[in-house]
Amino acid sequence: MRLSYFFSVPLATVIAAAAPVDFVREVRPIFEQHCYECHGDKKQKGGLRLDVKSAALKGGDSHGPDITPGKAKQSHLLQVVTSGDEDEVMPPKGTRLNATQVATLTAWIDQGAVWPDGVDAVKLKDTRDHWSFKPLRTSPDGSTQSAATSIDGFIDAKLAEKGLRRSPPADAATWLRRATFDLTGLPPTPEEVAAFVQKPDRAAAIDRLLASPRYGERWGQHWLDVVRYADTHGFEVNTERPNAWPYRDYVIRAFNQDTPYDRFIKEQIVGDALGQDTATGFLVTASVLLPGQIGRDEASKRLARQDALDEIVNNVGQTFLGLSVGCARCHDHKFDPISAKDYYAMQALVAGVEYDDREIRTPAAEAARARLKSVKAAIVSVDRQLAQLVPLAGAGAVRPMVNARENVERFKPLRTKKLRFTIRETNRLEPCVDEIEAFGADGENVARAATVTVSGERVTADTHEQRFVNDGNYGNARSWMSDETGKGWVILDFRQERDIDRVVWGRDRQGKFTDRLATSYVIEIADPAGNWQTVASSDDRAKFAPGGASATGFTTNGLGKEEAAQARGLLADKNKLLAEQRALDAEQKAFAGVFRSPDKIRLLNRGDPEQPKEEVAPALLSVLGDKQLPADAPEQARRQALAGWIADARNPLTARVMVNRVWQGHFGGGLVQTPSDFGNNGMKPSHPELLDWLAQEFIRAGWSVKHLHRLIMLSETYRQSSDIDAASAQLDADTRLLWRFPSRRLDAETIRDAMLAVSGKLNLQMYGRGFDLFDKRGGLSGFKPVEVSSPENHRRMIYAHKVRREPEAVFGAFDCPDAGQSTAVRTASTTPIQALNLFNSPFTLQRSDDFAERVRTEAGADPAAQVRRAYQLALSRDPTAEEMTEARQAVSTHGVTVLCRALFNSSEFLFQP
Amino acid sequence: MSHQAEHLSAAGHILLDRRKFLSHSATALGSIALTNLLGGDGLLAAENHGPIIDPARPYAPRSPHFPGKAKNVIVIFCAGAVSQLETWDYKPELIKWDGKPLPGGPAVTFQGPAGNLARPQYGFRQHGQTGKWVSDMIPHLAGLTDDIAFVHSLTSKSNTHGPAENFLSTGFVLDGFPSLGSWVTYALGSENQNLPSYVSIPDPRGVPQNGANNWGPGFLPAAFQGTTMSSSKPVRHLTAGVSDNADRAARSLLQKMNARHLEAHPGDSKLAARIASYELAARMQLSVPEINDLSTEPAHVLKDYGADDTRNPDKAAFAKNCILARRLVEKGVRFVQLFNGAYASGGKLNWDGHSDLKAQYDIHSQILDQPAAALIRDLKQRGLLQDTLVVWCTEFGRMPFFQKGAKGRDHNPDGFTCWMTGAGVKPGVSHGQTDELGQKAVADIHPLYHFNATILHLLGLDFEKLSFEHNGVQRRLTNVEGKVIPELLA
Repeated sequence: MRLSYFFSVPLATVIAAAAPVDFVREVRPIFEQHCYECHGDKKQKGGLRLDVKSAALKGGDSHGPDITPGKAKQSHLLQVVTSGDEDEVMPPKGTRLNATQVATLTAWIDQGAVWPDGVDAVKLKDTRDHWSFKPLRTSPDGSTQSAATSIDGFIDAKLAEKGLRRSPPADAATWLRRATFDLTGLPPTPEEVAAFVQKPDRAAAIDRLLASPRYGERWGQHWLDVVRYADTHGFEVNTERPNAWPYRDYVIRAFNQDTPYDRFIKEQIVGDALGQDTATGFLVTASVLLPGQIGRDEASKRLARQDALDEIVNNVGQTFLGLSVGCARCHDHKFDPISAKDYYAMQALVAGVEYDDREIRTPAAEAARARLKSVKAAIVSVDRQLAQLVPLAGAGAVRPMVNARENVERFKPLRTKKLRFTIRETNRLEPCVDEIEAFGADGENVARAATVTVSGERVTADTHEQRFVNDGNYGNARSWMSDETGKGWVILDFRQERDIDRVVWGRDRQGKFTDRLATSYVIEIADPAGNWQTVASSDDRAKFAPGGASATGFTTNGLGKEEAAQARGLLADKNKLLAEQRALDAEQKAFAGVFRSPDKIRLLNRGDPEQPKEEVAPALLSVLGDKQLPADAPEQARRQALAGWIADARNPLTARVMVNRVWQGHFGGGLVQTPSDFGNNGMKPSHPELLDWLAQEFIRAGWSVKHLHRLIMLSETYRQSSDIDAASAQLDADTRLLWRFPSRRLDAETIRDAMLAVSGKLNLQMYGRGFDLFDKRGGLSGFKPVEVSSPENHRRMIYAHKVRREPEAVFGAFDCPDAGQSTAVRTASTTPIQALNLFNSPFTLQRSDDFAERVRTEAGADPAAQVRRAYQLALSRDPTAEEMTEARQAVSTHGVTVLCRALFNSSEFLFQP
Repeated sequence: MSHQAEHLSAAGHILLDRRKFLSHSATALGSIALTNLLGGDGLLAAENHGPIIDPARPYAPRSPHFPGKAKNVIVIFCAGAVSQLETWDYKPELIKWDGKPLPGGPAVTFQGPAGNLARPQYGFRQHGQTGKWVSDMIPHLAGLTDDIAFVHSLTSKSNTHGPAENFLSTGFVLDGFPSLGSWVTYALGSENQNLPSYVSIPDPRGVPQNGANNWGPGFLPAAFQGTTMSSSKPVRHLTAGVSDNADRAARSLLQKMNARHLEAHPGDSKLAARIASYELAARMQLSVPEINDLSTEPAHVLKDYGADDTRNPDKAAFAKNCILARRLVEKGVRFVQLFNGAYASGGKLNWDGHSDLKAQYDIHSQILDQPAAALIRDLKQRGLLQDTLVVWCTEFGRMPFFQKGAKGRDHNPDGFTCWMTGAGVKPGVSHGQTDELGQKAVADIHPLYHFNATILHLLGLDFEKLSFEHNGVQRRLTNVEGKVIPELLA
């Protein structure tokens, strides 16, 4: 739709030769009339503003500079105001520039675009001149006040300014409930409450709670929110990230051990140099496209890599520095002194990080690795011995009936390139096989490397696919299913001749499924001439009987007494070895970043990998100092430098940001209410002096987070009642100045954990692989919630296998982060879906039953005693007379379960007092 | 803390700070008072900020930025990337080039080496007053083209389903941003307080490729996430399955506990909101089964939609979902997402026709065509289309050539078609175009940002104003991009 140009160049040239153009009198009025609406004080479309000299001469995001002094023709500004392209011409709406105006602009630029200083109506704010970039203010010297009164001093001073006063202290039981939820994410037990009311030693209580392993589980969760930790890779395929949890455990341990925060930072950025491999899981917590999920075209690969690096930069910037560095990926930051170059310089610091499992190389892991080798060898040997007790196929004896779990086919050693497994009949529906293995004398499963062909397949993506028949993974969720009822075949092509003497196959080694079982089959090998020769079949097995499918694997049926005893011994050995193998395996790998020689990083125009510009060397954000590394600095040295710069006591952001997060953890909101944005766009601190004093104190105490908890929790500010005073609320409705303790709804994990604790079912097993919230641990679709109650899923929710983006069926509605982007503050919304979930879900009903059971056990059959105990357990207090009357009546009629269910839903239970 | 924050007066800062407080923790009374205050002196309109949410009534209807033509939205979301070349973007030139290589074309695309150009796999014919060329694959929808505004020149930022569905649904390729429906219900609430304000209806064959990301709230409050339900699967945890007596007793105890607790903590709006949420939930328990009960639909309606098609259960199930969508909108539910196409399955369960496009599209089009067309006709006939915007979308398009060794087309984010019809939409429009082989948008190119901005505009929402502060950035549905496509507006 290109039209002819409106204006001819000669006219402009004529004027250019005339008198010098005056910016203020002649040029600026044109800008005012046509441009400032979109490129002035209010809006800066395309990043361009024309009302301030420095900004105007720098130009917009895509075309800057838009004004090239002395070269009107090459100036983008001139091109667009004279453009005949409807999509390009400026201004896009309203009156266009007339010929005289164009001529004036042309002349002005050709004459050197003279823009006198000091004529602009607005002055750009110096974005570097911002409180958080300035050094910490040192505390007033000579202070003899104790730490705790200092917090109150700062708070009281601000309150007094507004004519407000602190509220009276909360009673002892309330304080303990508040403190216990705060530090452990659990309610206090009635006994703890009673003891504390008897002797309200707050310092001792805080020490007790800080020493509890529950503390790290609570505060680890806050940290995992910020770094958006999850156990899947995200995006469409959302594959399981099976070795993510060592990082989760690292975080919990670090909090429990009170790892100094500067050390905590360094370990997460460059833990590979500090004997903390798993800590570097921090770098790779984001969603990522796995190699097979990225397009095969080069542009797709470049974009995926850029996105992956961007997430690392975002994580470092937000988490430690409280800066939205990521904004500068496409253009200089609009509000903060972070240029696109700064952004790419930071990318260069992490440009050698890959998202992958890494071997843990701690001495413990190395020892485990050595041990693992011998355990694996022992398993192979036990398997061979067990196999000797399996009757040979086709040798005349009747072999045990087929079962769904595991069937061993033993035969004389043979040499072959191909093996065929043909199913002739099933107990029902299309056959399904979770794994076919083929072993030789050395115990190696040669099927793993074989090429697979099948008769056909009924695909359920990520669950039933032909590739799963020899992928080494057991269970229905990794199996092949035929597309024909009652039949199908699989051919394994070993590609070279292999010796085999044993084939092992199953329908579901995990023992959950017994349908779709091949009850009649034949196993053949190809002889050198390519003819199929039978090596085993169901023909000499005992006739299949319904119900037989659920038999478990190896059977001692048909063995002599001595052989049976031997087999039982071997099986016991094997189970022990397998358990040890699982435990050792768990110490081998962590999804924690793999480091390689860094990519060359270039500044990308508008963040587009297809528009690379100049190369950028690794460097610290320029606003934090002039520190740069050589362009060819080795990989680890880059991260070491980055960690050092961040964890430097002189860095004005690091301590402030962390102190603020801790404060927020206690009061629900930070002194800075935008905890991951300390930049110009963030909120100003409500108590700047207090923030700086706490930061100083934090550093002085060796970056001890536990020290901060003590300081804060021993204050009178923390101790206040949460009651609302109408007059104060008029002056400060959102309690930012803390004239009361701001009560708030418990978060998702705390509600779930508290329900388990109160019902007496909480399983305190720490660490390790997460328990299942869904019927699968990753994948494309169809996450069915696990609704069966078991000790495993009675663990604390931080130990749940976190499937990115998939909200937990009950508690997801309580603003539980989806681990897509960083959650620095959880919202606490209230929705009817929450009410439905908490009132009607199987989880609540099961916990109500458990809770009722516990109450009956502890309080006996008397309804009044039951009511009292239930109130104590759930709410840390006795019922009032009125409550007792009401509840006793309901309990007498319907049993105590109804009371338990109501208590779990009550506002008093759901709010931190 | 808008992006304009640095230009705000001190008073403006205070108001913004207070507004943030209001959206999270206001006393109900205070919020009303301040709403008046803000509205009264014109600041509400002037500033760049989100709506004021009353925590006790998160779904309460809220005013748009300016009067919008549309009140409700139904999005028909075809997961897997529908080929523009087999549907709406008629390319006769491609017939001539059938079987020939594309000179200068890419050697490798998303899934691997490119093959030769391939003609549209269906015949095309003209329809309606506008004479719009539409594929014979979708005869029912083809009959509606006089009412539709097509955009043939959309582009996406990614050629990979996950990031691209993120981009379509949230405006960002990365995980974790709020979906369109969340933005809309955050801004506008809903006209019906007894049903979820935002309902996502998955395809009967399974959830779409990006799953819950397509209806996730991201960092918006959880109140604004899509609630999944379908004609066959109602809202989860609607009832407890315990005896009525026990249920009533527990409820009655809870009511007394919560009322007493509120009385002891006067002025705490969060406690009032909790009580309200249980009341809302109780009403939902009644209205959800009612809305899901299609037995009240007359036989001719079931027939029009194809819900009675016993030979094609997937089609019948999708048709029932379409009827459910109409019923929801009828009741004032603000935003309904109707998925057609499930998760990655080699194109078997969705529109991802890599290997054998024609064979797979024969199946998918049967499921989509009649029910979706019947839905739009039904809305129109009932007068609902005057207030309801219906959007048909897919995450990207497909290449004009087959993949090497296959009979299907690879991903193509550089030029594809989506459309809208209904409230405020100019009927019979075909806007934008791709090149003569349908590979790249060449005229009136619109990144999906523009399409989403236009949807917001039709609802009376300024895509630049509707924003939420997250980690230091005033986030919007269209990132820092976007523009309304005026050609689509009536």
